Amino acid sequence: MPVVTLYFDRITSILGKKISKEKIVSTLPFIGLDIEEETKNYVNVEYSPNRPDYSTDYGIVSSLQGLLGIKTGMPKLKIKKGKDAIIVNPSVRKIRPFVTAIAAKNGKLDDETIQQIIVMQEDLHNGIGRRRKKTSIGIHDLDKISFPLTYTTTSKNHKFIPLESSQEMTINEILKKDETGIKYGHLVKNSEKAPVILDSNGHTISFPPIINSERTKISKNTKNILVEITAIEKNAAEDTLAVIANILQDAGFELFSIKISGANNSTPLLKPRIMILDTELVNKILGIKISISKMVSALRKSRLDAQGKGKKIVCTIPRYRTDIFGPMDLIEEVALGYGIENFEPTIPESISVGQKNKVTTTLDSINSVMIGLGYSEVMNLGLVSHRVLYDYTKRDASKIISVSDSKSQEHNILRDAILPGLIDTLSRNIHEPYPQMLFETGTVFLKNNDEIKEEIHLACVSAHNDVSFTEIKSVLQSFLKTTFGLECKTITSSNSMFIEGRSADIFVNNKIGEIGEFLPEITGNFKLRVPIAGFEIRLTGLY
Amino acid sequence: MSQVLHPIEQKLLKSLLEKQNLTPEDLCEKTQLSIDQVRRGIEWLKFKELVQVNESEKNFVALGKMGNEAFEKGLPERQLVNYLKSIDGFSCEMSQAKGQLKNEFSPAIANAKKNGWIEIYENRILLKGYHDTTPEERILKLIASKNPAVSSIDEIGDKNTLDLLKKRPEFLTFTFTKYTTVNLTEKGIETAKNVSSVADVLVRAIDVESLAPTVFAARSHPLQDVINEVREIFIGLGFTEIVGNQTQSSFWNFDALFTPQDHPAREMQDTFYLKGLHAKNIGTKNQISNVSQVHKKGWRYNWKLEESKRLVLRTHTTCVTIKELADNRPEEARIFSIGRVFRNEKVSYKHLVEFNQVEGVVVGKNVSLRDLMGLQREFYLKMGMKKIKFWPTFFPYTEPSLQSMVYNEKLGKWVELFGMGIFRPEVTIPLGIKNPVLAWGGGIERIAMLKFGLDDVRELYNNNLGWLRNVSKCQ
Repeated sequence: MPVVTLYFDRITSILGKKISKEKIVSTLPFIGLDIEEETKNYVNVEYSPNRPDYSTDYGIVSSLQGLLGIKTGMPKLKIKKGKDAIIVNPSVRKIRPFVTAIAAKNGKLDDETIQQIIVMQEDLHNGIGRRRKKTSIGIHDLDKISFPLTYTTTSKNHKFIPLESSQEMTINEILKKDETGIKYGHLVKNSEKAPVILDSNGHTISFPPIINSERTKISKNTKNILVEITAIEKNAAEDTLAVIANILQDAGFELFSIKISGANNSTPLLKPRIMILDTELVNKILGIKISISKMVSALRKSRLDAQGKGKKIVCTIPRYRTDIFGPMDLIEEVALGYGIENFEPTIPESISVGQKNKVTTTLDSINSVMIGLGYSEVMNLGLVSHRVLYDYTKRDASKIISVSDSKSQEHNILRDAILPGLIDTLSRNIHEPYPQMLFETGTVFLKNNDEIKEEIHLACVSAHNDVSFTEIKSVLQSFLKTTFGLECKTITSSNSMFIEGRSADIFVNNKIGEIGEFLPEITGNFKLRVPIAGFEIRLTGLY
Repeated sequence: MSQVLHPIEQKLLKSLLEKQNLTPEDLCEKTQLSIDQVRRGIEWLKFKELVQVNESEKNFVALGKMGNEAFEKGLPERQLVNYLKSIDGFSCEMSQAKGQLKNEFSPAIANAKKNGWIEIYENRILLKGYHDTTPEERILKLIASKNPAVSSIDEIGDKNTLDLLKKRPEFLTFTFTKYTTVNLTEKGIETAKNVSSVADVLVRAIDVESLAPTVFAARSHPLQDVINEVREIFIGLGFTEIVGNQTQSSFWNFDALFTPQDHPAREMQDTFYLKGLHAKNIGTKNQISNVSQVHKKGWRYNWKLEESKRLVLRTHTTCVTIKELADNRPEEARIFSIGRVFRNEKVSYKHLVEFNQVEGVVVGKNVSLRDLMGLQREFYLKMGMKKIKFWPTFFPYTEPSLQSMVYNEKLGKWVELFGMGIFRPEVTIPLGIKNPVLAWGGGIERIAMLKFGLDDVRELYNNNLGWLRNVSKCQ
């Protein structure tokens, strides 16, 4: 989850009221933030990507102001009518059809604000922007731009100086050499042309969704800002714009609209939404009985506008609150504004009788029988390594089931048997006293004609100097008899893991498993020197 | 009797009381114990100051080449006497005797003379008389009787005669060996006397104060114990257990839970997709079409059926719960499930690729957020956790959503445990679930770690027998 750094100095000045550090830190969890790290000067908080407005300290302070009662109700976006414009060329339709923008003027940027904006941009790209695929953001120094802008496409041989570069590069070069170009190039690789935003003098200000121009980079001296957002979905673009517009307004900028036209694009309005909330539903879902005026006050503390009308509340939701879909989301806002700590837990009435699943009951019995036979339970993971499952045991890997892109080579194959993992367990315990007698029950995964089947297996191993086939067969017989009242047959077979002549298939009507003494070569692969015997059977079908 | 003696010790003491100064080999013979048992017993007795062990050297003698020859044919002087006895007149020329005795002629003459058996007169040897056995012959016989074993010089006794034989070239060989003998101490003698008188009564007594060998109880895995404990609590609260597959279609793992197909959580960095495998049937026509509608409306993107068919290793047990609710649409229910879930994370002290999750849901016409909080409190109380608090949080498929914080006495701090919430209408309505659904859940490993005082989650799956055998079952 993304992280925002909150400096107490800055927070206090944005809050507009002196609040103690302790009070700030203890309030943060109640607006939905997780505290990651706390120091003398700052606190790092994690936020959920459903709240893109928490991507800077301004958005977080806005919520804090609400809950602490410093400022309540919806923060209003004041957008003055501007005269600058972006014209959209229809050629962008098939690549990235939408653009939206706003101008923020007469403000001041300090180092920390710039830092917050950079982090915000990255978080919004990854979250609401779906790693720039859905929306991407360009933030520019407005004074370096001559309007009107054109959002159009060019050949990939088009040249400009990309951000953090000193020389011109073609778009093809950017895609091949620039770090960002390499990372996000796949988003434009399917089209011959590349989307660009050009100013009226023909300067390239942006190559969305990859990189902006060095020419319009913002700095501490920037007073006027242009925010442009390109997207494959119009609403997402305006949502993102709303989040940034609010932040810049909070940072002291005046907002001016940018006229957008052409190819189904239009000037963003960033208007709040209205939702009607049923107050009875609020009390029912939360399990409380509070008055409409208390609900209104709670909603305002959550920085929404609210007005009681009979048994309903008319809620006004600012555009940047993209996480509010319907009444349940508003009910949560009431709960937060009311204060989670004010809810007294209750127990719902019930006469229902609880019950274990039949599978669990059976597995419980199996465990108790195996323990009675002197075997101890171990638990291994279902995701194992090729080495343990197939290489060391020389088992047939033709029906291997692997997962894509595992971050660990030790865990990239789904086990089709438990025994290899048990041998691996023994190999990790060579310094512990023998005999070692272990069992495991668990799910194994089998592939059959591109379909996957799950079965529950039992495997057990005995490791000590006098181990024998007879010993382990006695255990098998006793287990089946005690647990299920079943008799089994063991029929000579060959098995990659077992010694020839001491290896058998286990039958209870059908084949249910395999039993044998392990080949010294196999145990040697696991660095084991002690002889081992074991068996594995399918439990699914026996109960 | 203050001291309890092992049967081995008793046997050794008895033997030593009969005869002191025995070697371990002697004791083996007397007690019929193995040499290892005897040596071990001597060590124990020595430690208890009941015996004294002496190390000393012993000289041994054996026949040399000439000695052997002499034993077979007689000493040279005996040969001479025998020769003379066989001749008429009991005398012969010196040259005759020399021809007969060859190399042994000179020692024969010298010794026979010394014994007073012969006289030499004008180059003739006359037999005067003889002894039947000389001391030298007796010792020769004694040594030879033990051949090829060696004899201790002390056993032979007659040192002068031995010196005489020693002077004869290649008659005798001598060796020196270190050896151990065991004596009873005074305390030992006393104890040994007691042994003989009371041994019969005390034969079954053992050293009850010494450590017995360790045996390990076969047992269930500690994590399994915690899982069982959690399960019992749910059943006690009136919940019925459901189980489901660990491999699931993306439809039930994500789509049915209102997680959009382009959501970061669905990417391969976080979720395990099964290579090349797709679910054939994911749900009813109605279920699929309703879920796709709510995605298109809520998230405004092009929902794809193919994407929802991709098989994943379930990232939570909620997929099992939601399918159960969608298929049965109960108006009232209390169900729970416990099982493995998977996350594509780098393995560390905090994260595993796989862990156990428990999840409970309550469906009911009049259930509320406060009820959800109450059930949490009840669960934690039964687990022995008394101080809890709630914070708001976010989950894609619940609204409102809370997380619970539990105060851990051992760590002295608040620990985040289960997450909870009420299923979103975007989840329940498309699947025909009419009443509110309270849901909560979390990882069991975290509870187990708190319980067993572990700070590395990997320890739960290391199956380190040192830990499994020794961690106590009741904590």
